[in-house]
Amino acid sequence: MKVTYKWIKDFVDIHEKPEEVAKRLTSAGMEVEEIIYQNEHLHDVVVGKIVKIEKHPQADKLVVCQVDIGEKLTQIVTSATNVFEGATVPVSLPGADLVNGVKIQPSKFRGVDSFGMFCSGEEIGIDENYFEGAGINGILILPDEMKAGTPIEKALELDDVIFDIGVTPNRADCLSIVGIAREVSAIFGIPMRKINLSYPIDIYSKDTVRNYVNVEVETKNCKRYMAGAVTDVKLSRSPLWMRARLNAVGIKPINTIVDITNYVLVEIGQPLHAFDQTLIGGNKIIVRQAKTGEKIEALNHNTYELDKETMVIADQEKPMVIAGVIGGTNSCINDDTKTVIFEGANFDLKCIRLTSRRFGVMTDSAQRYSKGVNVANAEIGLLRALHLVDKLGCGKVARGIIDIASEKNESRIVRGSVSAINQILGIEIKNETIKNILNNLGIKTVISGDRIECEVPPYREDIINNNDLAEEVIRIYGYDSYDNIDKALFENASVTEGQVEPRMAIERKLRNMLVDYGFYETVNYSLCPSNICDKLLIKDDRTRMVKIINPISEEISCLRTAMAYSLLNCLSFNVSVGNKEARLFECGRTYIPKELPIKELPVEENFIAFVVSESGFDFFHMKGVVENSLSLTAVEYKLVPSSQPYLHPGISADIVCGEKVIGHFGQIHPTVAKNFDISAKTIYGEISSDFLASKTDKRFVVKAVPKYPVVERDLAVVVDEKVTTEELMDAIKSACGKLLFGVKLFDIYRSQALGEGKKSMAFNIKLSDETKTLTDEEVSKVINKALKSLSFRFGASLR
Amino acid sequence: MIEKLKEIKEKALVEIQNISDKKSLNEIKVKYLGKQGELTAILRGMRDVSPEDRPKVGALVNEVRSEIESRIEEKENRFDEEELANSLASEKIDITEPSKFISKGAVHAVPMITDKLIDICVDMGFTVVDGPEVETDYYNFEAMNIPKNHPSRDMQDSFYITDNILLRTQTSAVQSRELETRKPPFKIISPGKTYRNDSDSTHSPVFHQCEGLVVDENVSMADLKIMLSEMMRRLYGEGTKVRFRPSFFPFTEPSIEVDVSCPNCKGEGCKTCKGTGFLEILGAGVVNPKVLDIAGIDSKKFTGFAFGMGIERTSMVLNAIPDLRTMYKNDVRFLSQLK
Repeated sequence: MKVTYKWIKDFVDIHEKPEEVAKRLTSAGMEVEEIIYQNEHLHDVVVGKIVKIEKHPQADKLVVCQVDIGEKLTQIVTSATNVFEGATVPVSLPGADLVNGVKIQPSKFRGVDSFGMFCSGEEIGIDENYFEGAGINGILILPDEMKAGTPIEKALELDDVIFDIGVTPNRADCLSIVGIAREVSAIFGIPMRKINLSYPIDIYSKDTVRNYVNVEVETKNCKRYMAGAVTDVKLSRSPLWMRARLNAVGIKPINTIVDITNYVLVEIGQPLHAFDQTLIGGNKIIVRQAKTGEKIEALNHNTYELDKETMVIADQEKPMVIAGVIGGTNSCINDDTKTVIFEGANFDLKCIRLTSRRFGVMTDSAQRYSKGVNVANAEIGLLRALHLVDKLGCGKVARGIIDIASEKNESRIVRGSVSAINQILGIEIKNETIKNILNNLGIKTVISGDRIECEVPPYREDIINNNDLAEEVIRIYGYDSYDNIDKALFENASVTEGQVEPRMAIERKLRNMLVDYGFYETVNYSLCPSNICDKLLIKDDRTRMVKIINPISEEISCLRTAMAYSLLNCLSFNVSVGNKEARLFECGRTYIPKELPIKELPVEENFIAFVVSESGFDFFHMKGVVENSLSLTAVEYKLVPSSQPYLHPGISADIVCGEKVIGHFGQIHPTVAKNFDISAKTIYGEISSDFLASKTDKRFVVKAVPKYPVVERDLAVVVDEKVTTEELMDAIKSACGKLLFGVKLFDIYRSQALGEGKKSMAFNIKLSDETKTLTDEEVSKVINKALKSLSFRFGASLR
Repeated sequence: MIEKLKEIKEKALVEIQNISDKKSLNEIKVKYLGKQGELTAILRGMRDVSPEDRPKVGALVNEVRSEIESRIEEKENRFDEEELANSLASEKIDITEPSKFISKGAVHAVPMITDKLIDICVDMGFTVVDGPEVETDYYNFEAMNIPKNHPSRDMQDSFYITDNILLRTQTSAVQSRELETRKPPFKIISPGKTYRNDSDSTHSPVFHQCEGLVVDENVSMADLKIMLSEMMRRLYGEGTKVRFRPSFFPFTEPSIEVDVSCPNCKGEGCKTCKGTGFLEILGAGVVNPKVLDIAGIDSKKFTGFAFGMGIERTSMVLNAIPDLRTMYKNDVRFLSQLK
């Protein structure tokens, strides 16, 4: 919100530098985000009077002017056509640095010296709304009464300093000049000036507000409705000082009445509305909820269809205003307006928020009401407007005001404890200091012993307990009092034992291992488009997704139901930018709805997922990654062929623990590879880290290393392709029984000579006996037994 | 005989002395010491020596033999050494050739910071907690003292799933749940993904937070200051200063913004901190008693404080990452710089 320093000075007699005020406001919680100096580009621009104009000796389109700039005459060459002898104009002198980037230096035009330039309104940074003549395509002609030599920032009242302040949602009372002035007053300990709300009234006059309007409030959403009448209205430009202030805070000046409503909005924070009295049907204002189907053309020239959720200000025939949000064209101030009704009202915050959101209309008024306006402000705002009418002489205020209030807002007493305040802050602040700070904030405070009693003014609805009082005290006292605090960590706190989260802990182990294996960790959006199941060939429950009702874009409109999407997508991106080989992983979640439409929270499951696209990296490499990952846990598992739709049906495995499939891995399905534009040799895998987190307690049972020598034998057999390694190993294991120390497949060989559909499998078998050294005969016996078993069960023949 | 022996010795030693390769040395060995060698021949001739001279001659033979042997061994050793030195000299590799061992990957810039924070906090006695990302309005907002239609909701634009279910906008949602079930005193942190309907060069719709909450008797704003100073020192490095500024969050009162001295310029003012010497890094405050009341914790007895920070921001500062959006592209050319 923008406020101006001069405007603040209306209410606080402060003389500090603007930078100091900004700094102190910020450190008290009113963050000054920007300081704007209106005159930044107006130095060396003054009022000048053209004394004499002569033709340029060398150029038809140029004239040479002698200009009175106060203390002296100067010569300026110009091509402007709207200047004349005696004209008062803005003159930029050498050294000027105008808002459009033009820098002025003495120069020569076709041999004639020129010591400056006449300015247009645009070059000074103003428009027609601000100053008459500023909008024309030519030099700004100023009123004759302006004195030559006056700096232009003074002449045009462009010498204010603007603070752009970020007001936090709890301090809606500071969304006004008065609100910020109160803060400045408290910070610097300078008392607030009273707001002038007076205007002359003839107490015997029969010309009262009720002659012009009556008000009925029919809805609870209107907490207070006040109205005043002004007759004999003269619509014109507002005086320069008022335009200057509106302009400074970014509001376009229109005419006296409209400017007064805006001025009060900014100054007091109270939105006002002005009606043309003759357009109020039946002279009656009715505040009610709209009827379904009613329509209104608003001042933004959109027509809105209303319903009973919307509050309107109506007359006997029609809605005139969407209450608190935007006025209608059917009753607004116009060139013929002679009598004006000012509304100063208070509306329910929620009602205005909803209406403003629904129609997408965020006017200054709607913004104030949605953040909360104090009920007391309606009166201050209305009286201030009537005061300004009188001050501007733009109408006659009728006697009396209408005030229908269902809610009053008065000072409240908040009782607290000084020791509690000090306990919250953890530092000792003297009673006297606490009292002074609160008093300066307008909170009348009495302290007796530990008890503190505060009379909180109506506009500070946010203050209700010790914590609120503590905050008021410390933000003015200054947080820098914590800069050199000398205390041990958790000095007075209980001792607690830090604990890791089991899933995050196992993920950390796995992540570190994967990093050691050359994988890069990725972090992906858990949001995805709605078509991920199509791309992944998924046709099961995972096609039912959690959808966002107000997404930013389709690309991120759903929550993923499959981890594979994100990593394959990520790989695809990397491939597209030329990173052809990659090992990537991600720790993340899938979100599976329990039902559609969603009533309960969906099931969120955590996974660690990995993908590799690298020449020479195949299923069995990934198998190693999976095995080593699982070896970090106590999970006992087996691998079975997988039926994940996005994996190659023949080159993929499910990881099964008991009855539960806890993960899968394998080469991706060729169609999926095409869909993602990645290599068909890409290997993908995932494991439920939630499941792993429940199996982290790994115990070891260690047997003694063999006392007697271990004998090794190699055994190569030829079998059919369909016989699995596991089957052969199991057969060898059971044939060797207790004597088996270990068995390893060390070679697989296929050739024409072996025959179609055959493979040779070579095993290295280690045997040992716990009680003695094995003899050759014993070893041969066992190996023969294994060979027999293999040939009997799988038709294996010795190679 | 004695003369002969001396002669053999002289001759042998000279020959050994002049030899320049291992093969010739072997020949000399055979020539003098072999079965047909000259010394062996002398020994064979001992029969002809008178019995009284034999011991003397025998001793001399042994002396000459051992002299020759030791000279040969000496020479052999020297040849071996030279050979080794030569082969070492010739086996020089180019150590700048690339490694054949697998090259490490890297942890991502975001979890890298989360991991650090978790370690710091667990050391300080915090328990790490986790909760759902798809959350009810109640836990995300209302239990955190952000009622429906309240202006404080304007601070966070949400992604809605239904009227009452949304993607959590803050990991405080986890804290709402924990407040309901945990008995004070406790210290918890909740790291995780959060979502806001906001997307531009400095805002990502999905981002990461880590929030902490301490509920205990006798904890104050001063304890918060000490704790954050220690935490930021460990995160940003020795000498990091922490500064408080007043702010507003519905769930804390008083609320503060916390700035840390810029780790880049040590508070001198630079591009990273826009010349201010400080970086706005986290929000914190004393837990609003209303929040404790909502959760059914006795706010007369217990106080607490809370803090929350965006992980991305910290990572960008600490790793000099120029653009937020880089973090989610996962370009290997970016990730590989985090090794």
